[in-house]
Amino acid sequence: MTQNVEHQPPVPPAEITDTVPSAAEDYEVGLKSLNQWQLAWRKFRRHHLALIGLGVIATMIATAIVGPILMPFEFTTIPLPDEIVYAGRPPSLQHVMGETGGLQRDVFELVVNGARTSLLIGFSSMAIGVFIGTILGSVAGFVGGVVDNVLMRLVDIMLSLPILFVILVASRFFGNGSVGLVIIIFGAFSWMGTSRLVRSQFLSIREREFVEAARAVGVRDRRIIFRHILPNAFSPIVVAASLIVAGNIISEAFVSFLGFGVNPTSPTWGNILSNALTFIPLGNWWWPLFPGLAIILTVLAVNFIGDGLRDAFDPRSRA
Amino acid sequence: MMKFVTRRVLQAIPVLLGVTVVVYAILLAAPGGPEAKFAQNPRITQAQKDSFRKAWGLDQPIPIQYGRWMGILNPSGEGLGVLIGPAGLPNFLPTPLSGATNGVLHGDFGYSIDSGEPVSNRIIRAALPTFILAGTALVLWIVVAIVLGVYAAIHRYSLFDQGATVFAYVGYAMPTFWLGIMLIFAFSGPGLNILPAGGMTETRISPPFGSPEYWVYFGSNTPQALGDIAKHLVLPVITLVVVNIAGDSRFVRASMLESLGQDYVRTARAKGLPARTVNFKHALRNALLPVVTNIGLEIPFLFTGAIVTETIFSWPGIGKLTIDATRDFDYPILMGVLLVTSVMVVLANLLADILYGVIDPRIKY
Amino acid sequence: MTAAAATTGASTPHSDGDRLLDVRNMQTRFHVMDGVVPAVDGVSFTLDRGRTLGIVGESGSGKSVTALTIMRLLDIPPAEIGAGSEAWFDGRDLLALSESEMRKVRGKDIAMIFQEPLTSLNPVFTVGAQIAEQVQTHLHVRAREAWSRVVEMLRLVGIPSPERRAKQYPHELSGGMRQRVMIAMALSCEPKLLIADEPTTALDVTVQAQILELLKTIQQRTGSALIMITHDLGVIAETVDDVIVMYAGQVVEQGSVADVLLEPRMPYTMGLIESIPTVEKRGGRLSAISGVVPSPFHLPPACRFEPRCPYAWDTCRDRMPDLSVTRDAERHARCHLHVAGAASRLEAAVSQHRQNMRVGRQLTDSV
Repeated sequence: MTQNVEHQPPVPPAEITDTVPSAAEDYEVGLKSLNQWQLAWRKFRRHHLALIGLGVIATMIATAIVGPILMPFEFTTIPLPDEIVYAGRPPSLQHVMGETGGLQRDVFELVVNGARTSLLIGFSSMAIGVFIGTILGSVAGFVGGVVDNVLMRLVDIMLSLPILFVILVASRFFGNGSVGLVIIIFGAFSWMGTSRLVRSQFLSIREREFVEAARAVGVRDRRIIFRHILPNAFSPIVVAASLIVAGNIISEAFVSFLGFGVNPTSPTWGNILSNALTFIPLGNWWWPLFPGLAIILTVLAVNFIGDGLRDAFDPRSRA
Repeated sequence: MMKFVTRRVLQAIPVLLGVTVVVYAILLAAPGGPEAKFAQNPRITQAQKDSFRKAWGLDQPIPIQYGRWMGILNPSGEGLGVLIGPAGLPNFLPTPLSGATNGVLHGDFGYSIDSGEPVSNRIIRAALPTFILAGTALVLWIVVAIVLGVYAAIHRYSLFDQGATVFAYVGYAMPTFWLGIMLIFAFSGPGLNILPAGGMTETRISPPFGSPEYWVYFGSNTPQALGDIAKHLVLPVITLVVVNIAGDSRFVRASMLESLGQDYVRTARAKGLPARTVNFKHALRNALLPVVTNIGLEIPFLFTGAIVTETIFSWPGIGKLTIDATRDFDYPILMGVLLVTSVMVVLANLLADILYGVIDPRIKY
Repeated sequence: MTAAAATTGASTPHSDGDRLLDVRNMQTRFHVMDGVVPAVDGVSFTLDRGRTLGIVGESGSGKSVTALTIMRLLDIPPAEIGAGSEAWFDGRDLLALSESEMRKVRGKDIAMIFQEPLTSLNPVFTVGAQIAEQVQTHLHVRAREAWSRVVEMLRLVGIPSPERRAKQYPHELSGGMRQRVMIAMALSCEPKLLIADEPTTALDVTVQAQILELLKTIQQRTGSALIMITHDLGVIAETVDDVIVMYAGQVVEQGSVADVLLEPRMPYTMGLIESIPTVEKRGGRLSAISGVVPSPFHLPPACRFEPRCPYAWDTCRDRMPDLSVTRDAERHARCHLHVAGAASRLEAAVSQHRQNMRVGRQLTDSV
């Protein structure tokens, strides 16, 4: 996407993600950042949906860590149900989310085990994407000139590609079913937005007085970047990161659903859905329903947290 | 105006070139390459492999390969002559001038490894179903998103607005393919089997869509054929539009609320205009300015969404072609599809920019 | 009786010949997150046909809300119009009209001009189309006739080459030109009452004078009544017959413009006048009213001006003063200085005001 120099279309406030902090806030970050965090937390707390989202995500992560220990999934061990029903059985007291068709696995057990993989992929790929984006954005913003131009055109090009499609192809070509590779592939295509955000922060802050002052007293560039500029870029990055997590959890499920992602024999939310598809004629709706709800719940929670963070870091909102 | 369009088109060219390089690089970096199919086949001799490599140009340095694939270089030229096309002019010029027919620039995306057909034929054949699906979805998406958003904004905080908010949040968090699966369970499962679960036509009565027999059938049974497609469209279209409607109805609502709070809306009311005129002429016209841009930028994602939807509903379009090609390592098709979709993204951005200038009199080029 | 005389006593609500507007005990409140804001609190005034009335006050005094309440342009909720509020216009209570009846009044019988002409005009329609729209709505004429009316109105307000200008968009016109367009629009259906809400505040000083002059001449020519809302006493002095002064949602003084400006009878008005920088006062110290406008959530229990009033005494803290007739006939002021028994205090206040005004002049004279 080439940048339009003629005009910036107005964007309604609800959609603004990269809020430019006010000058007052900039100074606070540099000098006494504790206050800013306290302020942000106070604002975040008033956002009830974001608090609920935080609770949901915390529960999810706890489940992802502890769950598989309590309800281990073994590919080789196949459960012996009290009654053999090829189509699986709808939710009951023993199996709150029902049983799958075929091998009659407990759907709840699958969803719990899937949470580990799906959350791991969502958050780790986000971390990689944000890391790459921060570095590239910093380089572009700090060095400027030709380097900046080349990097930003690269971002334009990457954003012109249908990314889900590219990830799909890359997963197929380079993936081998391991979670690690999937994380790397998703991370490698999640950095563009972050790099733009970081770069714009650099451009807007680089010329500000306190950076000039820091440079004048002989502070080294590295210190300026880490002490002064990146903390300012933090809040828009966090908001963008929440969107990346949500997007990657959905995309990963889709890629695995198509069989190009994580090894089909391990339970991820996408794989559970993929296996369910062949049983549609038997009508066992509970099989795809619950992993899907798990995805929706996670993405909703992450989006709410993102909303809360955006308000919390927005200098225009009231504490 | 003309100047602006020209400049924007010129700005788009380097990006498009970059896209081709990246597409080429991704596929080049893939393990195996086009020969991967034969790598394990003991009956293929080294001589056959070599002739395959030569036929595909795989024995050339990578820049040459790229140049040939792009149509910048003449594959039969020698030395610097590779730059010159058969008609004696630079090879990259359009076919009538250069006489060149090879490469992306001349509409030649190579041949499918799988079927041996020209990639362009496969893409064109798959494009019609995708346009039917995406076009229907687009109309529904825009209409519903605007109606929902405007109505929610006018009746802010009403029960309807709150319902629309819940729908937007959930719809936005919903994986497209999961919605598709659940819809199939709901409407094509054993319980309530009222809509087809997949395909584009009823296979028992209609020839496959797009085949010559189909068009004969279509000509003699037009109403039934259209009805058949419409029936098959219902579930995929719903699947495709829910996410977009969820996101954009919020966007429209926010834009409309902003517009409703403007001074000119108060002026319009002070003029004694009916509420309908105030809302739908004065406020909506302004509220739609950013919406048009946003929709322009999102149209390409409709096609990405179509990949997902087509897979689930076995819709014989670009999406299905892509997934099949990915599964079969059919490089030329993947490169063709990637390029075509990227060009569409760039064009959609361009269009959104130009359209924005047309509908907003304040923008001067 | 002057136009701005208060409607104390029970006169009939019906239009009696010259009476155009009769606002009685208007109360407008806003329900906001932190509570209820009484923006307009028991405002009453009258306006005769063809007369001009100024409403003056600081921002937040309720003067604009008064106008928007008359026009019924406030969103309800968050706004709420108190029971017992009345706004009789030409024999009908505007506040009791149905929305569709009210719509026929807006733009036709009462027209309004706003402060910021750029944002008040819709950016995506030509100015001509915006005026024509109003003409067609109320006069039910064909598009062609409406358009010639547009051109005629633009010419009336002094826009050169009106045919061409009518086809331009608001952003293509200058600030003064836009306000002329707003005036042309307001006058296009020959309203009986024109309300101008800070019509010159957003304009350059030189343009301000032109716009005021235009409003005055057009008002005289068309014979419509005018309510001029402003914080600028200079504008009031130049354009209106009568004036009401508002403070914290209430009318605190009313009378003819000459009386109120030259012989103010309420300490707030005195302070306002003393704080105007004039050539006479050059070199002297500009006096400002001490203190700040009270928060609408924490209004003083009795007289709302008491915390800032240099002449306040115990009574002012006990009881809200009424808007009562002063010793001078036809003058009203909301101040305890006018009750019997405070005569000496009033005397002191008036002479102090004269003193303050004279100090400036003496200083100038001595230079």
